[in-house]
Amino acid sequence: MTAIGTSVRKADGEVLLTGRGRFVDDYVLPGMMHAAIVRSDVAHARITGIDTSEAERAPGVELVLTGERAARHSGPIPHFIDPAARGGRRAEVRCLAVDKVVHAGQAVAAVVARTRREAEAAAGLVRVGYERLPHVLDADAALRPDAPRLYDDWPDNVILHNHYGTGDVDAALETADLVVTETIRIGRSTTAPMEPRGYLASWDRFDESLTVHGSVQNPHQLRWMLARSLGLDETRIRVVTARVGGSFGLKMQGHPEETLICLLSRLTGAPVKWIEDRRECFLSGAREQVHRVTVGAMRDGRIVAVRDRIVANAGAVTAQPGWAMPNMSATTLASGYLVPNVEAELHVVATNKPPLNAARGFGKDGAHFVMERVVDLVARGLGADPARVRRVNFVPPDRFPFRTATGLNIDSGDFPGLLDKALKALDYDALRDRQRELRSLGRHLGIGLAFELTPESADGPGTFVSGFDVTTVRMNMSGGVTVLTGVTSPGGGNDTAIAQIVCDELGVPLSWIQVVQGDTDRCPSGFGNFSGRGMVVGGGSAALAARDVRAKIATVGARMLGVSPDEVEVTGGVVRVSGEPDRSVPVPDVAAAVLTRAFAVASEVEPVLEATRAFKPGNINHVPDERGRIQPYPTYSNCLHAAVVEVDADTGLTELVDFVMAHDCGVVINPALVEGQAHGAIVMGLGAALTEELVYDDEGRLLSDRFKSYLLPRAGDLPKVRLEHQVTPSPFTMYGNKGAGEAGVGGAQAAVANAIEDALAPFGVTVTQVPLPAPVVLDLIERARSK
Amino acid sequence: MTRVNLTVNGRAREIDVETSKLLVHAIREDLGLTGTHVGCLTGDCGACTVRVDGATVKSCSVLAVGAEGADLTTIEGLAGEDGLHPVQRAFWDEFGFQCGYCLPGMLLTACELLEDDPDPDDDAIVEAINGNLCRCTGYAAIVRSIRCAADRMKDTP
Amino acid sequence: MITQNFAYHAPTDLEGVVAALAGHDAVIVGGGTMVVPDLTHGRTSADVVVDLSRAGLSGITRAGDTVVVGATTTYTRLLRDGGEQVPPLRRIAGGITGGPQIRNRGTVGGSACYANPSSEVPAVLVALGAELRLVSAAGVREVAAADFFTGAFTTARRPDEVLAALVLPGPAGPFGYHKLKLAESSWPIATAACVRLPGGGLRLALGGVAATPLPVHLESDDPGHVRAEVGRVLTEPWSDVLADGDYRRRVAPVAALRAVRELRATEESRGIREPRSAQEGEPR
Repeated sequence: MTAIGTSVRKADGEVLLTGRGRFVDDYVLPGMMHAAIVRSDVAHARITGIDTSEAERAPGVELVLTGERAARHSGPIPHFIDPAARGGRRAEVRCLAVDKVVHAGQAVAAVVARTRREAEAAAGLVRVGYERLPHVLDADAALRPDAPRLYDDWPDNVILHNHYGTGDVDAALETADLVVTETIRIGRSTTAPMEPRGYLASWDRFDESLTVHGSVQNPHQLRWMLARSLGLDETRIRVVTARVGGSFGLKMQGHPEETLICLLSRLTGAPVKWIEDRRECFLSGAREQVHRVTVGAMRDGRIVAVRDRIVANAGAVTAQPGWAMPNMSATTLASGYLVPNVEAELHVVATNKPPLNAARGFGKDGAHFVMERVVDLVARGLGADPARVRRVNFVPPDRFPFRTATGLNIDSGDFPGLLDKALKALDYDALRDRQRELRSLGRHLGIGLAFELTPESADGPGTFVSGFDVTTVRMNMSGGVTVLTGVTSPGGGNDTAIAQIVCDELGVPLSWIQVVQGDTDRCPSGFGNFSGRGMVVGGGSAALAARDVRAKIATVGARMLGVSPDEVEVTGGVVRVSGEPDRSVPVPDVAAAVLTRAFAVASEVEPVLEATRAFKPGNINHVPDERGRIQPYPTYSNCLHAAVVEVDADTGLTELVDFVMAHDCGVVINPALVEGQAHGAIVMGLGAALTEELVYDDEGRLLSDRFKSYLLPRAGDLPKVRLEHQVTPSPFTMYGNKGAGEAGVGGAQAAVANAIEDALAPFGVTVTQVPLPAPVVLDLIERARSK
Repeated sequence: MTRVNLTVNGRAREIDVETSKLLVHAIREDLGLTGTHVGCLTGDCGACTVRVDGATVKSCSVLAVGAEGADLTTIEGLAGEDGLHPVQRAFWDEFGFQCGYCLPGMLLTACELLEDDPDPDDDAIVEAINGNLCRCTGYAAIVRSIRCAADRMKDTP
Repeated sequence: MITQNFAYHAPTDLEGVVAALAGHDAVIVGGGTMVVPDLTHGRTSADVVVDLSRAGLSGITRAGDTVVVGATTTYTRLLRDGGEQVPPLRRIAGGITGGPQIRNRGTVGGSACYANPSSEVPAVLVALGAELRLVSAAGVREVAAADFFTGAFTTARRPDEVLAALVLPGPAGPFGYHKLKLAESSWPIATAACVRLPGGGLRLALGGVAATPLPVHLESDDPGHVRAEVGRVLTEPWSDVLADGDYRRRVAPVAALRAVRELRATEESRGIREPRSAQEGEPR
């Protein structure tokens, strides 16, 4: 084994560095037209009429489509995760609003024209009449019996109501030495990849087939979904993932525009391209929750009970899986702690805000933010060091596999080990001394810790969230290897790491290997990227397929060398006799023999130098245990974040002084790629902790609609983020690797929030929300002062 | 339509554009250089960065007609006959990108920085890329890449 | 995308600009960093666009006891050439949001004419006592910065006028400045710029906290006085998605005190003023 474990450069490096990466907006097809979308500027209304006449007369316009007409040519969009299948409520989702809009920004009409400019100009001429209905933007308000209802056939606005956890919380709270109750709010932030969404659909009227190029994460699921919504046979649809300019969950399918653009192509008979603009991209929300949490702890720091009533604002219903994220906030609540009694009640609520879309963290971030705040509240209540309280409550390394009170079965880990590494990197004791020193000078340094447990590579039975994937390894006559896999890459580089695995398993140089992803006509049926699954199931299935091909090469190579197959090894592109490096035959010669001498030297093998294999990791169990808990995750990456901040108490501004993340995602296939993901996720969390928030006016219209009002971190905002590594192999995956890429968001949010509270301890501030921009922090200080 | 004469990556080019056309769209559509990306059209993200007469600009904030006579360098113009520019190589070696969407801005501002200041400290590097948003890397590897490029370019004049 | 075509003029001298503006309600493009995105997003529309980039209005020159900064002088040019002549402008040029690409195109003149309440340039011009030189077919007039900014995104410039230059009193004395913003991406939330007046007292101008820059005359550096005066003039604080008026009201005095403190420190370091006596207290 040589390639696995090394930081091989990204396979797409030269292409991207020279500007040849082909993103969806870079495709140009003959006769291609452009779409622009007319969006509602009201949050809740009946559509009384749409006047398209002026738009239809505008220069270059080919088609103006309304929801009513769209509904005659397309059906409802099937859910990525059907709420009804999870005991929740479903609403019919269409590509354009019919009769009624339920959020500002909802698509109500679309224009196709020769150029984007003409399409946009004409879209501005479409007149939509609205009869306003009362709207509700706040999830608590939407739960009230008299709240305006979004969906006429629902009795209320609840998408999902569920209970989680085990134990006797009341009894435990009764005996606890300390009980703390707090309301904690997580503001609405978003994924904001640098490349917005986009689709290019081309309907071929000769053979009645559809080809879709898109910036998408899950091409096979999208094909299925389009077949359903457009009433086509799946075999007539090809989805090709263009190079994706970041995604972070946003580009999982279920967006109305996917169906819409295909329909526009079908109706016009021309290829139609639609590229989301930045303002449209900001319509997608990533998280928004309120937690009313009560925690009980003993004097020695042990947390004995947590009760959490979670209200999640999912916005309007969409076919995208965003609504399901809060489910994971409840399921992950106990995190990596021994807490025996946990009770979570969850309401996922529809409001007249734009929909939540899947986002890095997938709700687990919410659990981490709240639980880590809770641990600090306990530490504060007991006058204990927050590091010690974490240590007391961690599931110890010898207790795995460990079933948490909320049902997850953690495979392995060494959480105290991570804490040690992070504290050492910080020089924790010296930093506490420094904090005291600065306090005496009127300066406010704060240290915040946060543990994060990231269940990865999920499987949801009956949904498109699949815990396995499929890879084909195919060797050509020259020995070159094409790897076709069902997992896709949004840019993180799992294609490179999969090639590393094939390199080692098949025994050929990396330069011989090409990885193909994201094409439903070429790749085996798979599930794309989400839930840190790329290397767990993409890598695992590639290994299995590579081993099958290698076995044939070894068999035939051995025969060519005149020895038995168990006497040879395949490595570096040659088959050689073990221990006799001079006796070898090049793999390309063996490949040629398999394919050209099938009745001679290769007669012992079936002459197919190709294998397709699926990898199903262990540890997934959908049979409920005696307490009704299921176990949808094979691996549990984990990390310990430590943030150091200095708060300016006169302005509320927080400066990030230092940040350390000690992480453990098991065995690492490509360290540099994993580190890159970790840095990106941490910084996404830092943004969501401090400055990123989608803000709406009272009418539900988005105000934070550009990068000067929705504030992503820039290089100048950040400290030097430092990583510490620990490897606790997973017993359930091919290489002991665990999911990587998601961990960072919730932990970084919590570490920063904890650090700010710590910094402002002299004022007695309690931090109960993120984000924490300067105005919020100054409010906290002033409220604490006036108490 | 207005005729605009440009030198693009060292080659003379002529395009006819509407007065309303942004430079970024002229580069992508009329010059066919799609390595320059559109990320916001508000001048905030930097994915559309090109160099105009040597100075980096966000080409979404420039009218194509206003570029008459300009000498443009885009990401496609960085690599030479000898292969990748040292800055490109450093970004590859140091993992200075993931999805690659922000690369035009990162690479071109890095080149401009290193021409002005061959030995920038980390603060200068951060300042140079502060107009470019990246959502994948958290910037750490980008800063490291530019540092690496500077070191290598110093060593091989 | 800009959905409407327009007549485009890029005159090669000031006379040409004046001629192009006559009789039209033209949109003037300086560096384009704000106006072009506004055209793209339909926040402004144009039948005629006049591009100043070729009109020869860039450069920094000394004229008697004033410094004249051409309207299209970019922030990058100020960083390179402004150190001697207009250190305060050079300093804000280094802190402009948006990176080198924006500094390479953006201009102080353009920022003044755009008159964004959240911009730092207008208040700095007010504090420095700058005059804005406006030219039209009717002639040349100079308007004091304090009179130029008439409201959010509105100025005293008439549609037929072009801002040709900023005229700053020179030589520049010590300058105190503080800028508060929420993050690197954010426009300033509150800025304070101040200079010592020859006759005693200070001229301070607050930016970002109201629709227009707020001039504050200070008799002394006394923190209580600074707070009181800032509180007195800030009657209608600006509010936007990043920070409401209440926050701006609270941090405006903080910015002012920090600017005054910095001015004082500069004076002390240059030996212009004795170090503060203990009774005066330390403004925070």
